[in-house]
Amino acid sequence: MAKRILIVDDEPRYLRLLEANLRTEGYEVATAQDGVQALDVFSAQPIDLVLLDVMMPRLDGFGTCQRIREFSSVPIVILTARGEEQDRVRGLDLGADDYLVKPFSATELLARVRAVLRRAQPPAETGQARFFTHDDLKIDFARAEVWRREEAISLSATEYRLLLQFAHNIGKILTSEELLTSVWGAEYKTDKEILWVSIARLRQKLEEDAHNPRHIVTRSGLGYLMPPIES
Amino acid sequence: MDNLTLSFLHTVLKEVQSKHDWKASLDTLFTSLRGSFVFDNVVIYLEDPQSKGMEITYARAMGRGKTAEADAVWGERVATEVLASKKMILKEPKHQGRDKDRMAQPHLLGMPLNIASKICGALVFIRFGGPEYSDLHIKIASLQAFWSAALIERRDLQEARTELDSVQRQMRLQDDFVSTISHELRTPLGFIKGYSTSLLRQDTKWDDATQREFLNIIDEEADRLTRLIEDMLESARLQSKTLQFKFSPVRIDALVRDVATRVNTHHPNLKIEFNLETLPPVLGDGVRLSQVFENLFSNAIKYAPGSKLIIATKSLGKRVLISFEDEGEGIPEDFLPFLFERFYRVPGERTVTGTGLGLYICKQIVMAHHGKIWVESVLDQGTTFFIELPADPTL
Repeated sequence: MAKRILIVDDEPRYLRLLEANLRTEGYEVATAQDGVQALDVFSAQPIDLVLLDVMMPRLDGFGTCQRIREFSSVPIVILTARGEEQDRVRGLDLGADDYLVKPFSATELLARVRAVLRRAQPPAETGQARFFTHDDLKIDFARAEVWRREEAISLSATEYRLLLQFAHNIGKILTSEELLTSVWGAEYKTDKEILWVSIARLRQKLEEDAHNPRHIVTRSGLGYLMPPIES
Repeated sequence: MDNLTLSFLHTVLKEVQSKHDWKASLDTLFTSLRGSFVFDNVVIYLEDPQSKGMEITYARAMGRGKTAEADAVWGERVATEVLASKKMILKEPKHQGRDKDRMAQPHLLGMPLNIASKICGALVFIRFGGPEYSDLHIKIASLQAFWSAALIERRDLQEARTELDSVQRQMRLQDDFVSTISHELRTPLGFIKGYSTSLLRQDTKWDDATQREFLNIIDEEADRLTRLIEDMLESARLQSKTLQFKFSPVRIDALVRDVATRVNTHHPNLKIEFNLETLPPVLGDGVRLSQVFENLFSNAIKYAPGSKLIIATKSLGKRVLISFEDEGEGIPEDFLPFLFERFYRVPGERTVTGTGLGLYICKQIVMAHHGKIWVESVLDQGTTFFIELPADPTL
């Protein structure tokens, strides 16, 4: 089946250049002109690789890369107009798989795309799902919004990141250390109290009954988990 | 002052001054406090400036209730009251049953935290099962609030300083003409390289229409690159004051009309309205001033297509005022101060043909004439560029 590539660039001339070349190789192409549009397009269809310009207005390339990485491991190649090391490093740190510096030749572009696709693991079934549901809870990864029974819930950045940990690890018990390290950072590894308070607050917001939680459940002595929903 | 107090003060001041991580300092302070002031849990809440909610910045279980689960008491309601009232809040439980479950009888003491002259946080002490907080305890707690606020303020200042350094570095980079040039030049070069290597590919054939399309783009981008380089050289010469100006008496009103006529031949649909007063002569370089007027015309055509242009001149005695008004979309107020900067493009505007240097060069030329150039704009109504030049009636 033909691979589909999403091109994100605010210059129509680049979109044309990239699309024309990619189509000759048999790839299917989807385009977007800014980060917000990119996330919409990305969530609407299966995408095998993202070519992302990092100098765009509205949600910039780096921000888009970060947001995609929150819910997908799709290969991302960033296009940077500056050969500056900081741009390349920053992109790679944020989860991009490779980079291409403008000006680049058409053959260089195609070779890079082939290489990255070769390295990529086959996409997981849930790799790109934009929406996540858990009983009465719904998360829209593309917009970073959370809903409970059609009512929008306001979460702080930390609370959202904490919730994501559970959403991406359904049925798996996460230890306090794991949660603290991934949400707050290594220096907070033993800061149990901050985790307790945050989970308490999250439960207040997400659960029907915070004392009998169904979304974030405690496993005494082991950790916390989001149990799979029995249908 | 007795030894105990002295030693405590010593610890406190040492921590506030130290280079320790603020959380470690708070740990030290609260631990050394427990000798004189019993508490089980302590929490610091800070107002989140973005969401206006509260974030937990620090939490410790130091006494009874250390094994408390996530549904233990953390004084969130008290903290909210403290933030709202900006005062100390004391909440003792209603029944003082001694044998009852201690955990169900929390004594809560909330102190406001004054950080950077604003009460934006709360320090809450939680005691399970008493004793009650005495006046002395409250005084100690308020001292602790001072020191906690100081530590947090210090942390904020350190973060701000780091960010400031980074911003300054960024600005220095941006100000670096060379790096911006490099970026601006790479754009048309990127197209030329990309489209030409596309045509050179041996593994595919492009149909005739596509070949022409690509070649046209290469041609256009080469032109753009040429204009860009010319503008850059010119702006560099202006910057270093090596550009030669030839000053002679100039009649601005006549000059403007000439430029308008030239522009009209290339753009016959452009409607120009004149409102010209006869002006005293200006000592200036006619060629360079024409350049300025041409640039303003071309901007109006590009950014306010279809709009009519109203050109006015006015004599102000020793000065003359020229204005170029269009009835286009206008420019948001926030962007106006930056319009005359090198390579500045209004966010959201994407023109392939602009070099980003036009207005900068205009400004340099006008300034070389000891004049002023500025812009006024109202969204959805239009934009007006003003140029003021010194005039000399005796010329």
